[in-house]
Amino acid sequence: MTNQEKLTQAFCDALGIGPDQVKDDLQYNTIKEWDSTAHMVLISELENTFDVMLDTDDIIDMSSVAKAKEILAKYDVSF
Amino acid sequence: MTSLSDTSCLTGHSVLVTGASGAIGQAIVKRLLADGAVVFAAGRNETTLQKLSETDPARIVPLVYDIADEQAVKAAFRTIQSKQSDPAVGSLIGLVNNAGVMDEASLMLSSLDAVKHQLNVNFLAAYQHMQLAARLMARLKQGAIVNVVSQVGEQGSAGMSAYAASKAALTGATKALAKELASTGIRVNAVAPGFIDTSLTEHYDDKAKEAVLSRTAFNRAGTPEQVADAVGFLMSSASSYTSGHVFPVDGIFHP
Repeated sequence: MTNQEKLTQAFCDALGIGPDQVKDDLQYNTIKEWDSTAHMVLISELENTFDVMLDTDDIIDMSSVAKAKEILAKYDVSF
Repeated sequence: MTSLSDTSCLTGHSVLVTGASGAIGQAIVKRLLADGAVVFAAGRNETTLQKLSETDPARIVPLVYDIADEQAVKAAFRTIQSKQSDPAVGSLIGLVNNAGVMDEASLMLSSLDAVKHQLNVNFLAAYQHMQLAARLMARLKQGAIVNVVSQVGEQGSAGMSAYAASKAALTGATKALAKELASTGIRVNAVAPGFIDTSLTEHYDDKAKEAVLSRTAFNRAGTPEQVADAVGFLMSSASSYTSGHVFPVDGIFHP
């Protein structure tokens, strides 16, 4: 599985959405599935998937799929 | 139906207990072990934690760190995170914020440094632990957090304003987070001890102890095991419909 596939799977598992919905421009709070509760589950999924522990500032900044990739890159996860 | 003795929900899972080297902490660790959990026992006293872990080395994982050190807390959670897939440890489904400090001083004699220290240890450190533990539990959509607060924080006590404020802050967070985390399956409750025989109260002389006990309807001090029993109940499936509450273990105490 590539990191992009892992990321897509993490979003699908956390938000309960289909892989076709996981696009770079998908943003937090723009679909009902990505609310504050789901955001917490998403962070948990991403940390587990990529074996990282995100800083709180990064969690606050994670406002879209593109931003998630940008932040994970800081933790040596390349896409 | 779940009976009061059915605590099997902790078997195959792990719980983090802070302040595990103190008397109440050790009692909580023993209670959770009896209930089937693997326990991450956190504290600063390495010798005490080591001795504690030797009582059940397979199920007690000592973590030596200062809970008021933000980076040390993150490092401890990295350790916990790295063990989540180990079947001998199991996923983290519980946190007991038990560590605390108590500095008795009147308003005029309270240094701001002492006030900040109590807020750091009793509230901010507990808050950071809840942030990190909730992230681990959220994936599983289950978990329980128990904060050890105090009747001093619930009711106030002259000469203990900073301690009371720090514990009241944790009570407030308990009630708010119970609502916030309900949809993730994480329950958040608190236990509020009254006068318990521990190192925090051992400096009381007979007269001071008598004065406190005279304000306790049961006219005796509580034990660490009684606090641990309340924690065990709130951690177990026996309390699966309970969140956002403060459970008194105080012999009806009026500070």
